[in-house]
Amino acid sequence: MNTSLKSPLRLSKPVNWGRLGTYVVLLVFAVVYAGPLLMLVNTSLKTLPEFMKNATALATGLNFKNFVDAWNKANFPRYLTNSLIYTLSATLVYIITAVFVAFPISRRYVKGAGVLLTLFVVALFLPPALIPQFQLMLRLGLYNNPVGYVMLFLVNPIGIVILVNFIKTIPKELDEAAALDGCGYFRFVTSVIFPLIQPAVATVAVLHAIGIWNELILPTIYLTNKNYYPITRGMIVFQGVYGSNWPTLAAAVLIMTLPMLILFLFLQRYIISGLTQGSVKG
Amino acid sequence: MNYHFGRGRERLVPYLLLLPGIFFYLLISVGPSLATTVYSFTDATGIRGAPIHWIGLDNYKEFLLMGQASRDNYGALGRTLIFSFFVTTIQFALGLIAALAVNQRLKGSNLFRTLYFMPVILGAVIQGLIWSLFLYPMGGPMAKILSLFGAHSEFLGGQPVEAFAWVIIVQIWANMGMTMVIFISGLQTIPAELYEAARIDGANARQVFANVTWPLLTPSVNTNLLLNIIGSLQAWQLFLVLLGYRNGTQVLGYVIYAQGFGQTSGSVTSAFRQGYAAAASVVLFLLVLVIGMTVQTFLRRREERILGS
Repeated sequence: MNTSLKSPLRLSKPVNWGRLGTYVVLLVFAVVYAGPLLMLVNTSLKTLPEFMKNATALATGLNFKNFVDAWNKANFPRYLTNSLIYTLSATLVYIITAVFVAFPISRRYVKGAGVLLTLFVVALFLPPALIPQFQLMLRLGLYNNPVGYVMLFLVNPIGIVILVNFIKTIPKELDEAAALDGCGYFRFVTSVIFPLIQPAVATVAVLHAIGIWNELILPTIYLTNKNYYPITRGMIVFQGVYGSNWPTLAAAVLIMTLPMLILFLFLQRYIISGLTQGSVKG
Repeated sequence: MNYHFGRGRERLVPYLLLLPGIFFYLLISVGPSLATTVYSFTDATGIRGAPIHWIGLDNYKEFLLMGQASRDNYGALGRTLIFSFFVTTIQFALGLIAALAVNQRLKGSNLFRTLYFMPVILGAVIQGLIWSLFLYPMGGPMAKILSLFGAHSEFLGGQPVEAFAWVIIVQIWANMGMTMVIFISGLQTIPAELYEAARIDGANARQVFANVTWPLLTPSVNTNLLLNIIGSLQAWQLFLVLLGYRNGTQVLGYVIYAQGFGQTSGSVTSAFRQGYAAAASVVLFLLVLVIGMTVQTFLRRREERILGS
């Protein structure tokens, strides 16, 4: 592993595409990526008059008033709670149903397993479901209804494909041995398979949760009651009202960004591997 | 496959436990997807309980052939293609450069990779708001940078073409990290021995790239091109956050949303033209399908030529 990592580096030394050039490229990208984020942080620490006078000047001190303002005015506790409830409940239900779909398909314990798997792959190439989905929810009386909203997120075909592939790496002899010991199907999946596929479950859960947390279109379509708004939708409303007060708005954006940022820094490995797997398989 | 967990009634257990997942999948995703075509031949609205009539091809005729509205639609169609072209090519090139640089494994590489990838997980709302601030026209950072070169821009509030160009830039900024990590995972599958051999043969950096890296990167090249093309043809969320529904800037995805659900979010009582929007989704879907299949065929031939098999 070590040698394979180092050899491109050794190779690059004698030629002019050297360390220096690489660092220049890395730094240019870094400025483009960090710049907008630093501007956000800097603005959130300034007062409005300071911002109006000079938008890019450095904040003179640590002024957290904007965060307090944003937190109080934006109805953030409510929006964040909603987002958290939607994300956790939908991800939990999805993962449970997904494992019970992926396991028998992967093991071919159900008839037509191949067809079912194809069904999940094909979904990626179907027309958007937006309009009929809305008509369906309307007829079911689930419009502007948190339960209906959560229901929309109980589906994620890429997650199924990732789980099916991972379960294939678990030896089948395990099933036989457990069955001989008198372990039933449900107990086997929940207490033997589930712990063994933790890495894949973590990957799928994190990807699914991020998708729900960031969703803007579906809450815009399905939720009209402000008390049901998730943070994304709430943020757009807040922007509509405080759009010209950038220091407060920037603080609000930061409050919304922080949970994702922390999650990302801790779970980066799962997120990236999941996204690359999903895209290559899809 | 032999099933070990019992017979008779017990054999049904895996089927029963599989049902909820399949049920939701068919109900929420596959069923509605297929029904989109059916709805495109009707005058469905967003009003609960309103009757729906079969109107044949009227939605398509109106969308493609009738007066100013259809001219606007062709405008949106053209912008969708332009948006997709610039986003795909630039994001592909920058993603490759970033991946090559990060993959040199210099000190701090992981930190750089994390930084470039971060916007991907932040979502359209945060991406859009961060850039609205960065493009603050009255003395914001980008305005100051441009003024160094004697340039000036109204940014998102400027002419439609200008605003549109900035959305392209934000879209690339937001998603380049995804392209990069796919390239990185491709680069890591290239055996080190090949680089070693090329070095012994005295190849220079450009030759190594042209004869080792680029051909062996073909699978990631294909994945990235297809993902970028399909993704950018359907993308419109940043338009919503950055510009709103503005004449001269809409892409097809946004037209569908605006026709189906009204230009702003709102009350379901207004007559949203969902049949018409469904027809527009079918048009977009066919566009994605035709372009996707064409590119896919081309890429597969290229792959066979390069990698054999």
